[in-house]
Amino acid sequence: MAEQEEQPIAGRSLTGQAVALARLLHHECTSLLRLYTERETFLSSYTPDGKRLVSASPESEEPSTEEQVHLLHSALRQCLGLLHRVIQKEEEEWGKLEDEYESMRKNVRARLEHLLYSTKGLVETDGTNLEVTPDNQCNEETDGSGGVFGFKLWTYQVLLELIHWSDHAAKTLHVLHTEREGAEEA
Amino acid sequence: MAHLSLTPTSKLISSGFVWLLWIVLGFSASHTHADTGLTVPQRVTLSPNWYTQELSISWLGGGATTFDLIILRTEFNETVFYETVSPTVNKVSGLHQWTWTSVNPLECTSLSVKIRSRDGHTTSEWSQTETLQGNDHPNSEQRVKVFPQDKVLPVGANITFCCILDEGMVLDKLKYDGNTTSVTRLSRRTYSTTVFNLVASRQSGSNMLCLPEDKEKLYGTVVFVGYPPLPIDFKCETHDLRSAVCQWGKGRDTHLYGSQRGTRYFVNNRDCSEVNQDVGQKEATCTFDTWEGNWTLVAKNLLGQYSLTDTAELSHRVCPVAPDLLSVVADAWNASLSWHWKYDSYSSLALVCQVEITATEDEKLIKRVFSGVGLRSVFLSDLYPDEHYSVKVRCGAQQNFWKWGNWSKLSSFKTKTYVPDTPDAWIWLNTDNTGKVVWKPLTRRQSHGKLTQYEVFLWSLEENRALAPAVTLPPNNWSMPVNLTEIAFFSNNGSVVAKVTARNNAGSSPPARVHLTSVEPLAAPRIVYTDQGFPLFWENNANATCGYVVEWLDAFCPQDCPVEWIKLPAGTTNVSIESATFQPGVRYNLSLYSCSSDARELLKRWQGYMQELVPSVALTLSASQQNADVLLTWKEIPLVNRRGFLLGYNIYNSTGYQFKLLENVSDPETMSYTAKDFAKGFIKGTFKFTVKAYTAAGENTGTTATVTIEPYTDWLILEILTSLGLVTLLLAIVTFTCYKKRKWVKKAFYPDIPEPKLPSDWPRTRGLLDVKPSPHSMVCVVETPEYDCIKDMLVAIPEEDEDDAGQGIGDESVDTDEPTSLRYYNQMVDERPIRPRFPDSSASSISSMSSAHTDVTYTGIQTSGSSLVLQLDPQGSSECHQPQLDRSVSSGGGGYRPQMQPRAPSDDMDLPSPESFLEPQAACSGGYKPQGSWQLDSPVDAAEMGSLAPSLGSPTSVASTQFLLPDGEENTGEKRQLSSSAASWLTNLLSSTKP
Repeated sequence: MAEQEEQPIAGRSLTGQAVALARLLHHECTSLLRLYTERETFLSSYTPDGKRLVSASPESEEPSTEEQVHLLHSALRQCLGLLHRVIQKEEEEWGKLEDEYESMRKNVRARLEHLLYSTKGLVETDGTNLEVTPDNQCNEETDGSGGVFGFKLWTYQVLLELIHWSDHAAKTLHVLHTEREGAEEA
Repeated sequence: MAHLSLTPTSKLISSGFVWLLWIVLGFSASHTHADTGLTVPQRVTLSPNWYTQELSISWLGGGATTFDLIILRTEFNETVFYETVSPTVNKVSGLHQWTWTSVNPLECTSLSVKIRSRDGHTTSEWSQTETLQGNDHPNSEQRVKVFPQDKVLPVGANITFCCILDEGMVLDKLKYDGNTTSVTRLSRRTYSTTVFNLVASRQSGSNMLCLPEDKEKLYGTVVFVGYPPLPIDFKCETHDLRSAVCQWGKGRDTHLYGSQRGTRYFVNNRDCSEVNQDVGQKEATCTFDTWEGNWTLVAKNLLGQYSLTDTAELSHRVCPVAPDLLSVVADAWNASLSWHWKYDSYSSLALVCQVEITATEDEKLIKRVFSGVGLRSVFLSDLYPDEHYSVKVRCGAQQNFWKWGNWSKLSSFKTKTYVPDTPDAWIWLNTDNTGKVVWKPLTRRQSHGKLTQYEVFLWSLEENRALAPAVTLPPNNWSMPVNLTEIAFFSNNGSVVAKVTARNNAGSSPPARVHLTSVEPLAAPRIVYTDQGFPLFWENNANATCGYVVEWLDAFCPQDCPVEWIKLPAGTTNVSIESATFQPGVRYNLSLYSCSSDARELLKRWQGYMQELVPSVALTLSASQQNADVLLTWKEIPLVNRRGFLLGYNIYNSTGYQFKLLENVSDPETMSYTAKDFAKGFIKGTFKFTVKAYTAAGENTGTTATVTIEPYTDWLILEILTSLGLVTLLLAIVTFTCYKKRKWVKKAFYPDIPEPKLPSDWPRTRGLLDVKPSPHSMVCVVETPEYDCIKDMLVAIPEEDEDDAGQGIGDESVDTDEPTSLRYYNQMVDERPIRPRFPDSSASSISSMSSAHTDVTYTGIQTSGSSLVLQLDPQGSSECHQPQLDRSVSSGGGGYRPQMQPRAPSDDMDLPSPESFLEPQAACSGGYKPQGSWQLDSPVDAAEMGSLAPSLGSPTSVASTQFLLPDGEENTGEKRQLSSSAASWLTNLLSSTKP
């Protein structure tokens, strides 16, 4: 929240809305992780290795802001795919339960989908067509081979990944917003 | 084995011998096992069930029915199991099989198995070791490090976990659900722990953590602990008279959720799990297109299963659906409700329907039940006009009722308006014939629509016409002033009624009629309030054709009082009046009026308090003294301040430290009180009087008046004079009586003493009486030296007395050579007035004085008595002694002891008995003891002679007014003087009566 206050307040432009959305997503992802660690308390003192579950490699060494948003969009699709998998697997493992964690989980999914639509609208051109569906790259090897305990660790990593990429989205989109708003003003 | 030292040749020989020996021994040994027929088990195979932790061991051969089975942890070579077992045998293949269940998960560490045949005490060789490789084997590349994984166990079970660390890692601790557990090392890299009596886990299971010292590593597993399913209340019913809907409760929470571990439900082998997976769902259902009649529910999870069955005919399980599309057609007092059914099959079904109507006005719920075949409309009566209602319906089968169906949705409607109810009107008149017609505001239920106005007519009954145009009043006005004097003028003193009507949009109400007539007040007896109010009773009045009116109001309200009333039907003879406006301490007048077409008549009146209180104000009190009385007067407490029926007054007197009730004045009309003779006996002082009025609730605080009492001396003087007069009168009566009876008195108290008969040669000339001690002719001498007290006394005391006497009497001519007793005797015979001789001598002297100082007038001396004393030998030669027990006592309290013969005075010439001598007090401490016939019964009596009582009734000397008994207080000179003076007075009196 403090970070939000330091940065310029986004206007009603598409980029501004995308920045606000990304910041809100980041906030909700943080809350979701907090709720998860309240349920699985042993994770609060666990620091997984730095290996990323989601990666987006730029084609050029110095990608432009639009290219970075493209990459961001791709990474967010992967995040959505991971989140879908988490939701599906959790419902398989312990059924549906209307608690605060599940409610926040639904919010994050809806917000992430909304952000995907936003980024698509920002960088999609006539020659490109961006997908907003989940990019489900995970499989049994990644989420279920370690049993339920392994799944809990993997879920924790997914939530960390969501926080990382939502934060990255807020920063990248803010750059885009700054560039575009500055150009329009000039 | 023996060590041999041989040459090379011999070495060869010896070497061949050793080999031969080994062969022989080996053959011998082989021959021995071959003899038992037990062969070594072959082809041992191990088949693990990793989930159940069971190890199935099978082998061939052995020829025995029992086998020794040993299982070891391979790495540490620790025995885990070693027993003789009886395996099952496959008769076809000849394969033996035995299953062993491991406490630890089989993955934890490698296990080695060996088997040998056993027949009694004979065993075969062990089979080759077969090893089950654990995950702690160096070649193992398993990701999972903690076992068992995702185990499901019942509540209360125990479980053993193991954790396999990577090479070089060191274990920090194992934790189960946040609690560190104790650790057992199974192998170089494997550690285990056991958790006992597991409790139900939460939704995501209980975590078992393996924490190496390397904090970046975290291993673990999850265990799910719960219960087998226990469904309840399995019933099937129909809504559409064709299909079946089976329902049941999930019952106890199994703590196992999700598609893998959650409970699966099957009804008649049909899987009904899919729609019943929600964790929070308590009820489950499963629908069948046809009515099968018999159903079996099976609930299963990984811990067990449970079955329930239900059997029923369709007609007994009809639960109608909720009525749909409710519609209402409303009138003022009723409404018609109709609805639709979802299924046409209901048209032939006998239904019973429950209708709930809720009035918006008061939220009051009305329940009504209707029935009929294919029921789809009902008539709702007894509603209120201009009222909002909401209604809902539910139905059930009329025959073989099973249960109510669901409620329909609520439907709202409003009834139409209607003319208002007749207002409840009454009249209140002041004493000056002015007053007002009053009526109670109509409630919403009575108004039947929004009121627009009230109208009041003054109607002449005789002329049957209105005396004036109608007075229209707004709906918030509920009274109209009237003046009966004016009305009488206009009506020519005819009967007039006020007609009051209320009006709304639907029209005017029927008029309320109030007779405008004054009534004469009646006496009002008291009435006591009860829990039900003021209980009023009266006799039925035939004139009360339209009933009665009971009116009540504050009894002390002077003008335009807020009056309340209640109308009662004809024939009523009692009512309890209760009102929220009743206040404690307020007196109410309750009046009963009869109602007829002609007039109103006051039949009865009462007065009462809802609750009596003590008077709220104090009295005005004044007090004044009237001679010996104190008069208290006070003023009446105003009626409004009494707050109860006054019962009287309590009058108290306070004297500073006392608060005493003087009088209870039970007549409340009394306004004064006189404290009679209150000033008597008081010198002077200030006194407070308090008067408290009391009701049934108690006393008020009271008023205090202070009065200063002046001494009332007249009475005191009168009393003194009266006393003196009475004493004087008494003395006169005594004197007169004594004078009248003087002869008897003289005879009784002062008899004549015979004149001594003198011989003729007795010289009659008076001269100095020369008395010489008489010869001791009658003295008895007792030779008892220790009792020779008389001698001592006669020697010691008289000398002292003599000295004292000499000092005391001065120039009196006394022969000092004479013993004291002689002088005393001389004094006795002397007729001169007796006077004290030793006014202040010592104790011993007092004792002597008691005889010398007595006022006895020995006008006649009994010579025989005196001779007894005077016969003492003045020279001390006499042998007659008084008994003397204690010389000191004798000298202290003794002195002169004249002729003391306590036991036998008549035998004064005899020798004193020894007993008389032994009387200690009487004999030695005694003093004067005149010759008396008084006998002491005992020494105790003698000791008690100090009291005066024994002297009463004592004989007296004929020449003396003194009692002849020894006086215990004879040492008290003052008493003696008093008695002496009294005796002198009596003597003089009697002497004066001598002829």
